Amino acid sequence: MVNLNKIPPKNGRKYYVALGLEGSANKLGVGVIKHPFLENHESGDLSHDCGVEILSNIRDTYITPPGEGFLPRDTARHHRNWCVRIIKKALIEAQIKDPGLDIDVICFTKGPGMGAPLHSVVIAARTCSLLWEVPLVGVNHCVGHIEMGREITKAENPVVLYVSGGNTQVIAYSENRYRIFGETLDIAIGNCLDRFARTLRIPNNPSPGYNIEQLAKKSTHKDSLVLLPYTVKGMDLSMSGILAYVDILAKDLFRGNKKNKVLFDQKTGEQKVTVEDLCYSLQENLFAMLVEITERAMAHVNSNVVLIVGGVGCNVRLQEMMGTMCRDRADGKVHATDDRFCIDNGVMIAQAGLLQYRMGDIVTDLNETVVQQKFRTDEVYVSWRE
Amino acid sequence: MSLPSALYNSKTFGEKKFEVDPSKPQYQTTNGATTGPSEHVLNAGQVDIDRPSEPKLKEDNSNQVTYLSNLRCQLTGLQDDINVFLTEKMELAKGKKIKVASNKDTD
Repeated sequence: MVNLNKIPPKNGRKYYVALGLEGSANKLGVGVIKHPFLENHESGDLSHDCGVEILSNIRDTYITPPGEGFLPRDTARHHRNWCVRIIKKALIEAQIKDPGLDIDVICFTKGPGMGAPLHSVVIAARTCSLLWEVPLVGVNHCVGHIEMGREITKAENPVVLYVSGGNTQVIAYSENRYRIFGETLDIAIGNCLDRFARTLRIPNNPSPGYNIEQLAKKSTHKDSLVLLPYTVKGMDLSMSGILAYVDILAKDLFRGNKKNKVLFDQKTGEQKVTVEDLCYSLQENLFAMLVEITERAMAHVNSNVVLIVGGVGCNVRLQEMMGTMCRDRADGKVHATDDRFCIDNGVMIAQAGLLQYRMGDIVTDLNETVVQQKFRTDEVYVSWRE
Repeated sequence: MSLPSALYNSKTFGEKKFEVDPSKPQYQTTNGATTGPSEHVLNAGQVDIDRPSEPKLKEDNSNQVTYLSNLRCQLTGLQDDINVFLTEKMELAKGKKIKVASNKDTD
């Protein structure tokens, strides 16, 4: 039996308040959430229905010029120099007047992610914890995405597709762990899209993936996909081959290399494929690969509910394709959230961290707050679920 | 107010203490010499909107910097000193590695 009320709220209040700090990649997020203290949380598996109230959800993204990625050093500098300002903004919006009295727990991303940016944010978390005498909780970034998705959509026990710039995993819960059923064997889907965008100098604002999605909508040859190396290996998938191939096509398109038979008609020299068509074909191939491995995992655990989380998860075309597959499978359902919760944010770290805190899992020594670049989803003991 | 300091300790290089001299200009700014954006990003056309905020002045019109801003300035200078020191150590280690590799080649 799970008791989510193991630790009572501070100062005899009837609610918990958590501050969440996220900075594992190029987004710096600070969020404040509130959980009501409910008696029915003392017995039962209700971690997907905490009645969360979002008091603030502030995010600032480090954006580089078109054609460039984000370097760890510069991303860490962005987080370091904006962290205090973003925390202040989040506290004002949440109407937190005295953080030492009002906040139950400070949650930070412990990993996985880029070392330098993670480090910038954990220093801020440690400082706030010492300054306000508020306990700390280190959160696994992937678990943060899952718990936020479950809380927003109220999906009790879905198969989770986690798709972002650094991760691509199909996950299902079993015996206090989020087990990875399938994953990428090389690069993440978001990384594949970002690198393709760099070759075509597609802007990074608001995100390369969003701009690819908008370009794909304008494709005029949706009936004739450009053939790309579709690579699924059982429950896993590989995207480095598809990226290398589409990158060659993108470069030839960019340079106007008329010798390329896929892109130009060899007799007339007429261009057959546009940037928009390439974006569309790449999306269709990658998303079909994701749908295939997700369906295989669903068959394995006998489920018909999917939850899509992570930055790529707010792509409407991916949601559509997943929805079609789910409907074909015994009236299944796909759950997804919008960009406020899909894209990295502080609120999701607060949500998972507050669940951990309510189960009595807090940092007792600052040595435990050392961040980890590699921190797999299944390493976390999920004490807040049956 | 006590000044911040840092201590480096290594079996190979021994001990080195980093201390702040508040009279020197590098401990009076929030713009460090080694903590700016990387050249690669600036050459790609990045506009630096992420620089640290300027030190805040006290509200009593005394033209004095607040306690926390003063600390921020001193830490910026201290970070510069540490970065320069560690970069030197890295270069030294790199040089040693190259020397060992070239010795192996001649053997």
